Amino acid sequence: MEKLQDRFADIGEFIPQQDDDVIVCRCEEITKGEIRKAVHEGIFTIGEMRRYLRNGMGLCQGQTCGKMVKGIMARELGIRPMDLTPATARAPMRPMEMKILANDRSGD
Amino acid sequence: MKRYELIVIGAGPAGLSAAIEAAKVGMEVIVFDENARPGGQLFKQIHKFFGSKEHRAKVRGFKIGEDLLKEAEEAGVTVQLNATVVGLYPEKEVNVRIGDEIKHIKGDSVIIATGASEAVVNFPGWTLPGVIGAGAAQTMMNLHHIQPGKKVLMLGSGNVGLVVSYQLLQAGCEVAALVDAAPKIGGYGVHAAKVSRCGVPFYLSHTIKEVEGTDCVTGVTIAEVDSSFQFIPGTEKHFDVDTVCLAVGLNPMSQLAEMAQCQMEDNPKKAGFVPVADEYGRTSVDGIYVAGDVSGIEEASSAMIEGRIAGISVARDFEYVSEEEFKEKVEGFEAALGSLRQGMFAPENRGKNIEKTEEGIAVSKNLLKKGYLEEEVFTFPGVKKIKGLHPVIECTQNIPCNPCQDACPKGCIKIGEKITSLPDVDENSQCVGCGMCVASCSGQAIFLVNEDTGDGMGTVTLPYEFLPLPKVGDKGTALSRKGEKICEAEVVDIRTSPAYDHTSLLTMRVPSEFVMNARFYTG
Repeated sequence: MEKLQDRFADIGEFIPQQDDDVIVCRCEEITKGEIRKAVHEGIFTIGEMRRYLRNGMGLCQGQTCGKMVKGIMARELGIRPMDLTPATARAPMRPMEMKILANDRSGD
Repeated sequence: MKRYELIVIGAGPAGLSAAIEAAKVGMEVIVFDENARPGGQLFKQIHKFFGSKEHRAKVRGFKIGEDLLKEAEEAGVTVQLNATVVGLYPEKEVNVRIGDEIKHIKGDSVIIATGASEAVVNFPGWTLPGVIGAGAAQTMMNLHHIQPGKKVLMLGSGNVGLVVSYQLLQAGCEVAALVDAAPKIGGYGVHAAKVSRCGVPFYLSHTIKEVEGTDCVTGVTIAEVDSSFQFIPGTEKHFDVDTVCLAVGLNPMSQLAEMAQCQMEDNPKKAGFVPVADEYGRTSVDGIYVAGDVSGIEEASSAMIEGRIAGISVARDFEYVSEEEFKEKVEGFEAALGSLRQGMFAPENRGKNIEKTEEGIAVSKNLLKKGYLEEEVFTFPGVKKIKGLHPVIECTQNIPCNPCQDACPKGCIKIGEKITSLPDVDENSQCVGCGMCVASCSGQAIFLVNEDTGDGMGTVTLPYEFLPLPKVGDKGTALSRKGEKICEAEVVDIRTSPAYDHTSLLTMRVPSEFVMNARFYTG
C-alpha cells in the first residue's frame, strides 16, 4: 500500500543544482535534475516516477538506482526516505525476452 | 504443475544451509539459483573468517563454500543452476526461468534466500568504465584471476571495502587511497590495520567529488565533507587512478518477498527494505520463510546459521522433526548466532559511538580515523613488553572471534568464556615460537616478537600473504603500522605449513628500538 502523500504540501520552487546533470538511473539514463523536476511537476510517489520517467524500468530493474531515487525524492519532498513506499515488485523480476514469456507453460 | 515440499530460492550460504537442514530430516528440497555456480559470494572470499572455533573461524570463505556444497550433495539437495526465479506468489507458486522457458512450480513451503546486491553512490563520472563495485573487483580477481586495474581508489571503509582493498594489494594492484564519507572506519580495525601497514592512506570524512576520463577512468578527485556531508571548498585531493571501487553497502534483494505479499519494513538496523520475520525466519505469509542477507545485512557466518534455523523450522512446521528435536537443534544454532551478534559491531550497535571496550579501555581513535594504532597499542592486554620471544596481539576491538586462544599449545593466550573479550597475553607462559597463533588470527593482528636477541637487534614474525615470498637472507625495509619505511630489515626465516593454511610466517631482524613498531616487510 502506498502511504498517503500530502498532494498540497508546499515543497517550494525547483532550484537548479550543480549536479543536476549527473545520471542516477543508468539503464534508462535519467538524471538527478529530471527526477527533482518531476517531483515539482507533481510526481510524489516512486511508482508514479517510474511510469513518468522510466527510471528503474531497465535492465537492473531499479536494483542499482532505487535507493538513490528514493533519497533524491525524499529530500525534495522534505520527508524521510523510509516514508516513501518502494516500487511495487512484479513478475518477471528479471528482464527477459518476449519469446521466453511466450514459452510460458510449454514445458508442462 | 511440479510440486516440492520445499523450494529454496538462492544457493548462497543461507539457502544451501537451509536446504541441508531440511533435506537431512527427509524433506524433498530443490534450490534454484540464477548463477552458473552455487555458493553465492562464498567462493570470492579468500580471507579467513572470524568467529568461534566451533563455527569455522579461521577457515577461508571458499573452503567453507566447498564444504557446504559437499554437505548439500550428501544430504540429497538438488541445486538447479541458471534458474532465475522471476515470480513468487502467496500460494507459494514459483515462476522460474530455466533456459528459454518459464516453469511454474508449487512448493508446500518456500525459503527466500536471495541475498543482497551492491549499493552505489553517484557522482560526476560514475558511469565511466572503470568505476566498479567491490564485489565486481572480487569476482575479477578471485574467480577469473584478472586485475580490475593497475591503480585503484576504494570508496567505503566497511569490512567489504577493507577486505577487498587488501585483496587488490594481494593481486598486485596499487591502492591509492581508501576513502569514506563517515568520520570513522566502519569495518574491523584489524582489517584496516593490515591495509594501513601496506602503506595505503585512509581519508575519512572524504568522498568522491568527481571521476575524470572520457572513455574510461583516468583520475579521481576527492574532498573533505563536513558533518552534514557537504563538501568543504579547498580540501580537494587528486589521484591518478584507472579504477574506482565502490564498497558503500548492500541492499537486500527482497522484491520476491514483497511480491509474495509478505509484510515488509524499512529497517535501518537491517540495512534496508526487508520482510518482517520471526526468530525462525517465518514471514507474515504462511509457509514462506526468509534467511540471510535478504532479511537484513550481516556476515556470511550469520547467514549460514540463519539458513539452518529456517531449514529446521520448515521441517518442524511440516512435522518432519519432533518439537524436542527441533528445540535441541535450534537452541544450538541460536546460541551460535547470538555469539556472532555480540560485540562492538553487533547489529544493535549500528550507528552507535562506542568509546570504551568491554574491558573499559579507551577505543583507539587513531585506529578509527587513520587505520592504524599508535602509542595506545600498549594499553591493550595483548600487547606487553616481555623478555624473550612472545606474541604481541594488536586486537583492540570487541569482535566475536577466538581461534587464537586455542591455537597456542602453551596457553599463552587467554580470551575466556566471552568470545568478544580482547585476547590477553600471559607473561609467565613460555612461548615456543610455533607461530600457530600468528596464522590463526583472521585479522592478521598477531606478531611474534623478541625485543632483544643479544646484539642490539630483535626479531618480528609477521603473517605474510603475498607472493612471491621473500627468501631467507633477503634484505629489505621494515614498515611501521602506518606503512612508513622505518629501518632496514633482513629476512631470517620464512615458514609455510599446511597448518598455517596459506598464511606464511615471515621473520625479520630489525634493530631492537624498532621491534615494537615494525609490522610489515617490503623487499
